[in-house]
Amino acid sequence: MAESLVRVESVSHTFPAPEGGKEVLALDAIDMEIRQGEMVAFIGPSGCGKSTLLNVIGGMIAPTSGAALVSGQAVRGPLPKQIAYIFQESALLPWATVLDNIKVGLEFQGVPKDERGPIASAALKSVGLEAFAASYPHQLSGGMKQRVALARALSLRTDILLMDEPFAALDEQTRMIFGEDLSRLLASERKTIILVTHSLAEAVLLADRIFVFTSRPGRIKAVLTIDEPHPRTPDFMTSQRFSELRNELYELLRDEVLAAIGNDRQGLS
Amino acid sequence: MSGAAAGVSGGVTERLSRRGRRLSLLTKLAVFAALMVLWHLLTVTEIISPFFLPQPMAVMTVFWRILSTGRALPDLGVTFFEFAVAGPIAVLTGVVAGYLISMTRYSTVVLEPVISSLYAIPIIIFYPISVMALGIGPESKIAHGALFGFFPICLNTIQGFSGVDAIYLRMARSTGATKAQLLRRILIPAAAPTILGGVRLGLMLCFLAIIGGETIASLEGLGHRIVWYAEGMQMVNMFAYMVFVILIATAMNACLSLLELRRRGG
Amino acid sequence: MSLQSSRLPHPMVTRIAVIIGLLILWEIFGRMGTSLFFSPFSKVVMSGHEIFYEPEVRRALLTTSGVLALAFILSLALGLVLGLSIAMSKFTYQTFMPVLLLLYAIPQITILPLFVLYFGNGPASKIAFGVSHGMFPVAVSVIAGVQGIKPILLTSAASMGATRAQIFRRITLPYLVPSLFTGMRLASTAALLGVLLAELYASAGGVGHFTRRFSETFQPDKLYALIGALAIMAIVINESMRRLEKRFSKWR
Ligand SMILES: Nc1ncnc2c1ncn2[C@@H]1O[C@H](COP(=O)(O)OP(=O)(O)OP(=O)(O)O)[C@@H](O)[C@H]1O
Ligand SMILES: [Mg+2]
Repeated sequence: MAESLVRVESVSHTFPAPEGGKEVLALDAIDMEIRQGEMVAFIGPSGCGKSTLLNVIGGMIAPTSGAALVSGQAVRGPLPKQIAYIFQESALLPWATVLDNIKVGLEFQGVPKDERGPIASAALKSVGLEAFAASYPHQLSGGMKQRVALARALSLRTDILLMDEPFAALDEQTRMIFGEDLSRLLASERKTIILVTHSLAEAVLLADRIFVFTSRPGRIKAVLTIDEPHPRTPDFMTSQRFSELRNELYELLRDEVLAAIGNDRQGLS
Repeated sequence: MSGAAAGVSGGVTERLSRRGRRLSLLTKLAVFAALMVLWHLLTVTEIISPFFLPQPMAVMTVFWRILSTGRALPDLGVTFFEFAVAGPIAVLTGVVAGYLISMTRYSTVVLEPVISSLYAIPIIIFYPISVMALGIGPESKIAHGALFGFFPICLNTIQGFSGVDAIYLRMARSTGATKAQLLRRILIPAAAPTILGGVRLGLMLCFLAIIGGETIASLEGLGHRIVWYAEGMQMVNMFAYMVFVILIATAMNACLSLLELRRRGG
Repeated sequence: MSLQSSRLPHPMVTRIAVIIGLLILWEIFGRMGTSLFFSPFSKVVMSGHEIFYEPEVRRALLTTSGVLALAFILSLALGLVLGLSIAMSKFTYQTFMPVLLLLYAIPQITILPLFVLYFGNGPASKIAFGVSHGMFPVAVSVIAGVQGIKPILLTSAASMGATRAQIFRRITLPYLVPSLFTGMRLASTAALLGVLLAELYASAGGVGHFTRRFSETFQPDKLYALIGALAIMAIVINESMRRLEKRFSKWR
């Protein structure tokens, strides 16, 4: 594969102290490179800084030191033309219909008015929700809402897709189906994707490489490569190799999660 | 990274997380002081004529004289007498009526909307009836204050009792609690915070309604004294009494809030 | 506390029955003796019918309604502007929110005489006093509304490249609609209270004049009729505002 599309150069980030507390070192000198068309997953204990790093790459947070680069350019703010987001909670506007929710994203991105309708409809169709164009978010299930969020992100036609635990609010069955859908879609779209997740299975199922984070302050403990072509099928999930990879990931994470729990305990006392 | 990036992005989330924070007492005091200074400057320079807005120093002097000479005592006595009678009536009738209404789900559903739409009426319009029936003396203020205070207390009592989580009731019944035990151990403790909230609001409204009554038609009381000075165009005296009443109301509100918090164990 | 709704009549039926029962009690008490202060319901209704054909009373009611309408509209406009400017940024919020809270906490009834001194005996003081009651709830609900916006919506909009103006138009404003209607409901009640307080205090023109006249001349039937009309007006306003609020808050 070609050169790196996203580069993270010794990024550290410290959150200012909340009133009466200590300041938080969330990221400690992170380096990474992500190639065009690659799908990577961030996995690590809660509070280790995964979302923070994602937001640094997306230009939503300016790191205290170091820099994120997209296509060789330092990130200095949101890059709506290159990067689309899917968040953990629904970021759909509750007062707008499903279709309008997609259109408003295009409006923010600066797409001319008459082009928004067709693009939005096509995106909705690609996630199989064209029948719900006129529904409101509260009329949809959690899984459908996230599919709308996916459609909105796809409609923005960015090279890069950042997903912060997009399946966290979904039940186990829905997430697996969603995961397979995603794998299929991605194989055809060839987007560069960063996925933050807590699910080992999800990471192994979807990612080409998995970055395992240490407990706070977040550093990269290991990178696990999953050498398996997309789209990945349920067969892969039931294979011996899948369980081995999953177990390997589990071993890497176990100590960190324990350390993180210890950290938090200390913070409490 | 440059400040521009932080301005775009850090701004959005940071601003919102901080907004939720409560304004500290210090800020409030600072603002208060600033307003006083502004008032002082505007009046000392006579940008605003002293007829419209007396100087704060003059007001404070008179205010101090009122306190030190006990000049306000007769009016204060009248107002407090009215409140001391009306307040308990409002609390008693409000809590009892609220409890009775909340005894069954059906009576709650039937009567609560009636009470709450009556509460939408500005009770002040009934004041002329009080005056006509009870005269211009303290009686009409007592009736008016009690009526004003009744509604929030009654409504909160209904809400407090009917809002008790059914799971506690089931628990009590399954362990064989008697009616008295149920009331004492479950219903009252669970409903108390809401009821106390209503009592605080009700007593405040009761006090202000009494002041309002005295303002509209009376021969004595603090509210009347303000009107009396207003009609005599004695601005300094009028302001001093206004400050006095506002301070009393603020102190009362603070005491009642404290009581409410204490009871909640907060 | 059990619900045996299957056997009991619909709550609305019972509710109306209770109200009719109270009116009958009123009628009986009113007829029991002749009182200077009390009048049976039927007589009140008759006088109501009568006084509302008196051009003077009609004019007074019209004046009061006009004053109320103006006070309400001004409350909305001022409250909205005030609320938006305070909620606009962290700086304005931290600087001016304490001022707003301080002013809101003043028991306004104590400064009613001041309004009459400043604005005179006519409609101006009533409007001003109505506005000073009505605008704070609007401002406070607008501010609460702005603060209630889920941060994720703003973050997400920013990630898609929304400008400040777009965020305001597409997110802040639509999000504010329900709060605005809540503010409207509160403002209508508060402005009515303010206007009526000023009416009763100044009692020149408007209904305040007539409540005073009827009570001083001991005409309870007319007094009750007039007050009843005001009460019904208040309930109707409140109920319609509540419905409106509910309608526009559906997505919440
Ligand atoms: N806006 C903020 N202000 C202060 N501290 C923050 C802020 N955002 C995050 N933090 C802190 O930084 C650390 C990393 O947060 P981050 O959200 O990146 O963790 P995460 O790995 O995404 O966790 P999770 O898996 O629970 O989502 C946490 O300890 C958190 O408390
Ligand atoms: Mg996170």
